Amino acid sequence: MDWKKFLIAFVAAFGFLFLFGFLWYGMLMHGAHQEVPTLLRTKPDFPWLIFGHIVMAFFLTLLCAKFVPAGGAGGCAKLGILVALIYTGADLIMFAVQPLTTKILCGWIVGDLVQFTIAGAIIGAIYKSTSLTTR
Amino acid sequence: MKRFIVAFFAAFIFIFLWGWLYNGVLLKDAFAEAQSLFRPREEVMGLFHWIVIGQAGLALSFVMIYASGFAGGGIAAGVRLGIMLEILAISARCMFYATQPFPAKLLVLISIGGFIEMIVAGVIVGAIYKPKSNV
Repeated sequence: MDWKKFLIAFVAAFGFLFLFGFLWYGMLMHGAHQEVPTLLRTKPDFPWLIFGHIVMAFFLTLLCAKFVPAGGAGGCAKLGILVALIYTGADLIMFAVQPLTTKILCGWIVGDLVQFTIAGAIIGAIYKSTSLTTR
Repeated sequence: MKRFIVAFFAAFIFIFLWGWLYNGVLLKDAFAEAQSLFRPREEVMGLFHWIVIGQAGLALSFVMIYASGFAGGGIAAGVRLGIMLEILAISARCMFYATQPFPAKLLVLISIGGFIEMIVAGVIVGAIYKPKSNV
């Protein structure tokens, strides 16, 4: 594994996931989330939010490195879609047990699909030439 | 394809039974302590099909990721994939903890169950699904 490229891909994925999360879940879906105020903290616990994004970016990068060793935006974007489908399954279960609105459910599903597909593509594009040097 | 379908059904049945036993029976009291964050039991029963669909989606995505990039590695590869996917799920739980007033104890217990679930699912899928050249 090319650790230098891995590190760059991880940092880029973290930057994208955090920015997308802020824009999509924090800004665009703010109104939808306000429909269920009892489910939300009055103020997000930022250290946990940042830590969650770091872990997510790291393991998504690791998964791409193991899953698509040759890299490439297309292959890793495909993996991103499959990861998003796992999250979609979890979203449906959350919807069944928590008093979420269908608007929130749809927003989360679309958000997951977009963020993991793009994050996968970013990781794949940065990590792609590794195999050529290691094979 | 036959092994893919068998692996999917085996993983889905396990995830369903484990979800019921662990989250529905063993963690019943822990969930009751945070009742304000969840739907009443009757309402959950009315939306139970979403839980089943979500778990089926989760199992299907797991097998698809395994078949696309991990097949051939057997049980060990299935377990590795399960661990990576569960850590990704934990990263999402960190974000839920940051934004929703979940008791930390409940999320830790859910994550322990999640690890067991994904590791066993990995064992099942790794044992059943074999790529064509290995059959």
